[in-house]
Amino acid sequence: MEIFGSLQSMGIEAGTGLLFVMLLALLVTGIPLAFVTLLVTLIFALGWFGPNVVPLITSRVYSFVSSFVFVSVPMFVLMAAILDRSGIARDLFDAMRLIGGRIRGGVAVQTIFVAVILAAMSGIIGGEIVLLGLIALPQMLRQGYDRRLAIGVVCAGGSLGTMVPPSIVLIIYGLTANVSIGELFTAAFIPGFMLALFYVSYVLARAYLTPGAVPDPVREPVPLAEKLRLLKGLFLPIVVVIMVLGSIYGGIASVTEASAVGVAGVMLSTMLRGEFTWSLLRGAAMQTLQTVGMIVWIGIGASALVGVFNLMGGIKFVSELITGISENPTIIILFMMAILFVLGMFLDWVGIALLTMPIFVPIIKTLGFDPVWFGVLFAMNMQVSFLSPPFGPAAFYLKSVVPPDISLGEIFRSLMPFILLQVLAVAMLILFPGIAMY
Amino acid sequence: YEFKFQSSDPAGNPNFELQKTWVEDVAQKSDGRIAIDLLPVDSIVAYNETQDAIATGIIDGHVTDLSYFAGKDPAFGLMGNPVGAWSDPQQMLDFVANGGGKELLNEIENPYGLQFIGATTPGLEAFVSAKPLDGVDDLKGLKMRAPEGLVQEVFAAAGAAPVNLPGSEVFTSLDKNVIDAADYSVFSTNQAQGLNDVAPHPVYPGFHSLPLVEISMNKAKWDELPEDLQQVMTQSVADFAQRQIKALAEADEKAVAAAKEGGKIMIHDWSDEERAKFRKIAMGEWEKVASQSPAAQKVYDTLTAYLNEKGLVQQ
Amino acid sequence: MTEPEEIVREDHHAIPEAGAFGRWIDRVAILPALGLVASMLILIQEVILRYVFNSPTIWAHETTVFLCATAFVFGGILCASRDRHIRVVLIYDILPPRIRRLFDIVISTVCALSAGAFAWAAWQMVKRAAWRPDGSFRLETSGSAWNPPYPGILKILLMIALAVMAVQFVILAVNYARARR
Ligand code: NA
Ligand code: NA
Repeated sequence: MEIFGSLQSMGIEAGTGLLFVMLLALLVTGIPLAFVTLLVTLIFALGWFGPNVVPLITSRVYSFVSSFVFVSVPMFVLMAAILDRSGIARDLFDAMRLIGGRIRGGVAVQTIFVAVILAAMSGIIGGEIVLLGLIALPQMLRQGYDRRLAIGVVCAGGSLGTMVPPSIVLIIYGLTANVSIGELFTAAFIPGFMLALFYVSYVLARAYLTPGAVPDPVREPVPLAEKLRLLKGLFLPIVVVIMVLGSIYGGIASVTEASAVGVAGVMLSTMLRGEFTWSLLRGAAMQTLQTVGMIVWIGIGASALVGVFNLMGGIKFVSELITGISENPTIIILFMMAILFVLGMFLDWVGIALLTMPIFVPIIKTLGFDPVWFGVLFAMNMQVSFLSPPFGPAAFYLKSVVPPDISLGEIFRSLMPFILLQVLAVAMLILFPGIAMY
Repeated sequence: YEFKFQSSDPAGNPNFELQKTWVEDVAQKSDGRIAIDLLPVDSIVAYNETQDAIATGIIDGHVTDLSYFAGKDPAFGLMGNPVGAWSDPQQMLDFVANGGGKELLNEIENPYGLQFIGATTPGLEAFVSAKPLDGVDDLKGLKMRAPEGLVQEVFAAAGAAPVNLPGSEVFTSLDKNVIDAADYSVFSTNQAQGLNDVAPHPVYPGFHSLPLVEISMNKAKWDELPEDLQQVMTQSVADFAQRQIKALAEADEKAVAAAKEGGKIMIHDWSDEERAKFRKIAMGEWEKVASQSPAAQKVYDTLTAYLNEKGLVQQ
Repeated sequence: MTEPEEIVREDHHAIPEAGAFGRWIDRVAILPALGLVASMLILIQEVILRYVFNSPTIWAHETTVFLCATAFVFGGILCASRDRHIRVVLIYDILPPRIRRLFDIVISTVCALSAGAFAWAAWQMVKRAAWRPDGSFRLETSGSAWNPPYPGILKILLMIALAVMAVQFVILAVNYARARR
């Protein structure tokens, strides 16, 4: 019997089912994640078509790694690795404790604030989570924050990069849907801010309602000299932030170039502090290589899988599935949300966007919905996909930089309340489209 | 016959919608004997990898800008977008159909395993600019985004400072004035994606770019088609080209009217004199490209012969 | 204030099972790693040339993308040598050590097989990116004004990287199997 192409006889419905079962089964066996999706893709390329389709996978791998949008990821990771090796992060968080220490949970709230600033500096996630995971997480743990709360703040906050403008998700959506990227950015601003506020409210609620979740506020008066010494820790980080945001909003650098400006700023700061050495640079560069290797290879498989699935007739299958479900536009929207949620459990956002945008956008337009509103809704759904298990990229990125005693299971458990907050934000956007369309 | 074609346009783009009418037309003209499944950009492989995917039989054909393959042979770049050559889509289509373009393309593409079926175009692109531009002199020192290929070289020769940015960074970079101008798309698309809002001095009609969008397919599969179906394919592409040009010209007119009404966008139109100046600079660059490969030299010879014959160049 | 405890940072190296090959990968990795630092410097240089001197280069962005792509690909190999690819160890962790070893062998073998298949597929791609249809050698270029042969080089590097990865997984599988006995 011919093996190659034999799967095709099972039809696209059963094929899609088998594909997801295989993904789930391989995911939990302990195969490196990067290879789970690649392996399933290989099995389907061979089983559905034959060896001549396998080059499709390498072609997609090539296109994926040589895409300009990922250049900012190593920049953010490099920034994180240098900061991690210098004393800047510790001084920054000591200063933050001085400022927010009188409020319960103040440093966690400030971390979310830092995350929003990082989100305004970058259009893609990965780098910020690594940065916060290396910098904020150990500092929060050091100051006595509840582990799960700290992990959640870092992952959820670090994922805001594609919700707060600029955002690659929204740019790709704008190109697909042929709508104004400027309007998408404007529309996403308030929903992104709303989501950050949800996180802040949750942190404050935990701080005041659950004893022991956050450290006790600073009560004893700090002498002025000590205050000044601590506040010095704020100076260099603020200068770097001004350099990066200033170069973006001042028309000096493109978003990707600005991430390099950030690295240069951090490097100069370590030089000013007299901490810069060859071994620091070498260690930071090596750590960056390892971390981006991990981050990028997680995404590679999803992109390849979508290519093979589309060749199998996936686009037609999913669009017929949606149009067949109901006449009621609201139900169609909810069904799309369900599809995004399920895909979010198995795929990286690049794969989800590649697969669903070409299908959803024409349907949305036919139904008469505002494509800008839907773009924001899409970006909000991607927020959920970053955190939701078993395939939660944010959790994976964090796992790659935390000590081994923090397990993936613990990270995912920590993320649960934050996923609920994100789902709440999705629901708010559907119930009150005005949040985006003001 | 069932074929999978990949387009270089995204699903929500008007070009893609129009290409779907071509698919319907092929089904109708062939009485359902040919069924084409048209997929949007990047759905199977990346936009610049379709040629290889067709040759190896992963997909069957594509609807794409020929100049994306300039890296395979400079001839594709020169043929796909001879900057400054055309001031009307019909001139380009006539060159392809009757001026030796079609034969030449098959001569270049057949060895790659592709059969050229026909050409179409979204029309003359409009130039996106944040600074007022009224002639070639205004291009001096202009920081502008240009994609791969001849466009970049011509603008450099005209004194501009071309910046190599991917399409995904064009909007944010224009918005924040990192660049002053961009080679992007036709007026209606630029308007829809908000580029004219952040760079309110578009040059329309454009002067720089009229891309040749080719419809081609796997040669072996083409050769298997009976002759009457081959004719159906060729004819449907020719009809489609006229339909697309008409539809997009209407869309452009509507967008231009809307832009004028808004009052914030200042449309600039270049004089014939300035357009001729730009064309002259461009033709100097064609020669350089021609020297890069034998196929490119052939394209150059055929193209200039046609332009001379039709009196489209005044020397 | 609470007494600040020292934050321990792990430094990673190739795992023993990766063998001499893994240690070699660990050493060579400094090149693509410094490539990332170089990308940063190139981007900064581009910003300065464009903003201050109004004369952007035609090579900065393509070179940056090339250096980053090389790093992304090599980073994948490095993670294989260091066993730093993320794994969902839900089932794996509850297995007894003997079965776990068996899993390690099977997983490494499966990864070796797929990396090998991809290396073969990349060769199909390289055939079209390094030679013209008439058989003469020409690396695929980017088609830009600068027109560097980065696409051709990158496709070849990707093929080599996938082959190297396959070899690394074979070595891992063999060493896991040895340790089991
Ligand atoms: Na952002
Ligand atoms: Na997920």
